[in-house]
Amino acid sequence: MAKIGVILCNCFGEIGDTVNLETIRERLASDPAVDVVTLRESLCQPGDAAAVHALIRERGIGKVLLGACSPYGRMEVVRLALAKEGVDVRTVRAADLREGCAWVHGKDPEGATRKAASQLGMEIALLQNMEDSRDIDIRIRREALVVGAGPAGLSAACGLARMGFPVHLVDRGTAPGGLLNIVTKSYPTDDPGPAKLNPLIEEMTRNPLIRFFGKTKVASVKGYAGDFKVALKGPEGSTTLRVGAVVLATGARLLFPQGLYGYGKTKNVITQMEMERQFAAGSVACKSAVFIQCAGARNAERPYCSTICCPLSLKNAMRIVEEVPGAEAWVLHRDIMTPGSVLEAYYRKALQRGVRFIRFDADRPPQVRGDGQVSGVEVFDVLSGVTRSIKTDLLVLSTPLVADPESAALTRMLEIPVDRHGFIAEVYPIHPVETRNDGVFICGTARWPVSSDQALAQGEAAAVKAASFLGRGTASALSMSRVPGPKLGHAQANADTCTGCGNCVAVCPYGACKLQRMGQRSVSRVIKVRCKACGSCAAVCPNGAMQIPEQNYRVTGAMIRRAFREVR
Amino acid sequence: MQNMKNQKKTVLIVGGGVAGVSAALDLAANGHRAHLVERGHDLGGQVAKLDKFYPTDHCAFCPLWTEIRRCKQDEAIAIHPLSRVETLEPQAAGHRAVVVESAPVVDPSLCIHCGRCEAACPKGVAKPIWEHAYPPVYVIDRGRCGDCRACAEVCPTKAIAFDREERRIALDVDEVIWAAGFEEVSLAPMKEYGWGTHPDILTSLEFEAWKAEAGDNRGKILRRSDRTVPLSILFVQCAGARDLRFLPHCSAVCCMHALKQAQWVKRRNPEIDCVILYTDLRTVGRDYYEYALRDFNGNGVRLVRGRSSLITPLPGGNGIAVKYEDTITGRREIRPFDMVVLNGNLQSSLASKPAPEVRPELSGEGFVTAASVSCGFVLEPADVTESAIQASSAALKAITDRN
Repeated sequence: MAKIGVILCNCFGEIGDTVNLETIRERLASDPAVDVVTLRESLCQPGDAAAVHALIRERGIGKVLLGACSPYGRMEVVRLALAKEGVDVRTVRAADLREGCAWVHGKDPEGATRKAASQLGMEIALLQNMEDSRDIDIRIRREALVVGAGPAGLSAACGLARMGFPVHLVDRGTAPGGLLNIVTKSYPTDDPGPAKLNPLIEEMTRNPLIRFFGKTKVASVKGYAGDFKVALKGPEGSTTLRVGAVVLATGARLLFPQGLYGYGKTKNVITQMEMERQFAAGSVACKSAVFIQCAGARNAERPYCSTICCPLSLKNAMRIVEEVPGAEAWVLHRDIMTPGSVLEAYYRKALQRGVRFIRFDADRPPQVRGDGQVSGVEVFDVLSGVTRSIKTDLLVLSTPLVADPESAALTRMLEIPVDRHGFIAEVYPIHPVETRNDGVFICGTARWPVSSDQALAQGEAAAVKAASFLGRGTASALSMSRVPGPKLGHAQANADTCTGCGNCVAVCPYGACKLQRMGQRSVSRVIKVRCKACGSCAAVCPNGAMQIPEQNYRVTGAMIRRAFREVR
Repeated sequence: MQNMKNQKKTVLIVGGGVAGVSAALDLAANGHRAHLVERGHDLGGQVAKLDKFYPTDHCAFCPLWTEIRRCKQDEAIAIHPLSRVETLEPQAAGHRAVVVESAPVVDPSLCIHCGRCEAACPKGVAKPIWEHAYPPVYVIDRGRCGDCRACAEVCPTKAIAFDREERRIALDVDEVIWAAGFEEVSLAPMKEYGWGTHPDILTSLEFEAWKAEAGDNRGKILRRSDRTVPLSILFVQCAGARDLRFLPHCSAVCCMHALKQAQWVKRRNPEIDCVILYTDLRTVGRDYYEYALRDFNGNGVRLVRGRSSLITPLPGGNGIAVKYEDTITGRREIRPFDMVVLNGNLQSSLASKPAPEVRPELSGEGFVTAASVSCGFVLEPADVTESAIQASSAALKAITDRN
């Protein structure tokens, strides 16, 4: 058994002036579990790490317990310095004698000393009983799958290829580009949509690292970060791939406004997409166009703002005013959503160009007039307090982007969560293109409604995140941590005692626990790469078959027993 | 164009907030080197000073702290605190930058946070960098310091020294990423907002620090004038922003920021009447509109559409009079409030730099143009999520050539 050495830090009196370190040292010296006890003035000052390392070497210490300060303050400095010295920090534990004992119990030195002894005792029990999670190395396949070839997907694919990674770019359409292809002017620069796409499409064609699969769908994905087995179904039959990372850029759909504001029944009530097609065909003709914002959005059914509809209406309203002789344009809105400097300037431009804005209340939506053919809109203008009648011969509904039902199958296969509206959820706002499943990244409107410019940036972001994983070559399961430093360990199921009840499978947030057939019964198996050592599975296992070796039930039991022994 | 894998690049990042830190981590993770130049004592920028962040209502510091720790552990990232870029000259490949690193009075690598300096300082200028910063790096405000050096005498680790000299470091870098974040613009010239005339008229960042859980009041919502509980707080949106006389842009983060603060006030003390005076309620991110809906749905924050025309302390100083028009009802009102929080006066921190200083090409509104690589608020008003996306995108631009 590895020798346990305890090093107590006086912290220039911050600990020793309250906690009686001499008493503790004596007690530990007579503890059969402890091989070495020493007292130091400090652990975090220059030269301390080298001295500790020398002590570890000289005395043959296998496991180290530091009686010092709180684990994330100065202790982080100590750990970093020890690691630099070449000490395996996984064998180093720390008990908090400063913040947790001396400082908070400054008025009760005896109590502080008792608590310090207790905490040290518990850590010794832990060191005695902890086991090692057997680590495994995975080989990361140096290529990526990008699903969806709209602005986000193209940008992700080109970004990855630029960094030297082979990319398989899959789209259900025949050609890349997505919705942006049909847009003849895009906001806020008024460039045609293809002008944004063409450089990327050109790059895609020129770069041999990108392989484009048109009219192709992902039939299945299995595996985990570093090694996903993908089956594609395309016009030439099935293709199987093995990739290290997956980028989802599956896009979204615009809500089809059946029944809203007379859509489908009244002539000349159209969607923004139909308007884009009319512009592309050069066939927009009207005397007065009215745009209704939030058509089917920011309501009980879809309580979200779809981001792109306000700038889209500003752009198309300006086009009406400028390109259709004698025509006027009205935008009926609930809030004009143009955050930032570029879009706010775009809003000011629309005001200057003569686009007229009327604010309405969600409780009093505009009423469409006309029999079979739209003739006018009545709207209560909340700012002037009067109902206005606008003569119009073209009504454009700004409908929100909604989640694409086709990406739901993919998210299920990849075991990543979607939000309440079906958009793919990120792991945390500060990690916006990463998902709960390592190796799976998201960008574009599949994630949340965004403009094409934002989608391009997100594609680049997803490419960078995917590349930082793919570039590692190999990765150990313990290194797949969401916090600085390695994971605590990973869960392990005891196949002899597992009853295959599936509790662990149900609670694992990372899809790491799977039931597997073993002879006549099923048993749980943990995918080590996915496990984040949260311990949920161990908590719900009815018979202790599921454990994290570093903190198994023997460790916990021994720590509790030891704590009560110290108190007595 | 293609295989960039073996070309290790060195990138200078100006600004160590969310954007700069994220970009540095992405560069390091892809095998490149980053120099993070931060003007403050520690990484974290403006977000590290926030009490809470939206839409999770979690402490703002914690998730960012994880990223900061990653930066500090990564050998490919060199952190230059208390630093500024003195010169930046283009050369055959990339740039040569001269970075001036001023020395802190308290050396954070030695400071053990014992607080003896704080206890010894007769002027109360030795304090942790932010109330909730962890580890609580101590700093000494030299501007208000009486130079008695009592702190240096009590410091057990000799971390305090007043004679450290600034260093000049020359760096050869391949690319520069501008990530200098935002700063508040003084609202003093906009007299109608009354900022500076009464302690209970605060900017939203001042209010954020004042109401912080780890602040002086331990999260209690109090007036700044007399530390009594306010009966009403007015949040004024677009203060100085979306205003052609001052900042033409929309600062993008303020609507959510006000909703967050007002809801937090309500959670802390439901008795306080909270009103948000807004122009357009801009809630475009994931969960943002639903976050705002929590207000409509009856926890009592009132949203009033309108702009104030005058904010002024009441005679005697007990309360603030606000003149505004509720543009929905059309009523012009003059109402007293106990506190007024002004929101919107944020600009790119490069905007205020005078021209001879080192800075990239800027738009008329002070944002970095596409001629340089940038991310975060200097590129375009952005919150944490947007900044993180832009940071990764900037990292890609810095390490690859697009053609």
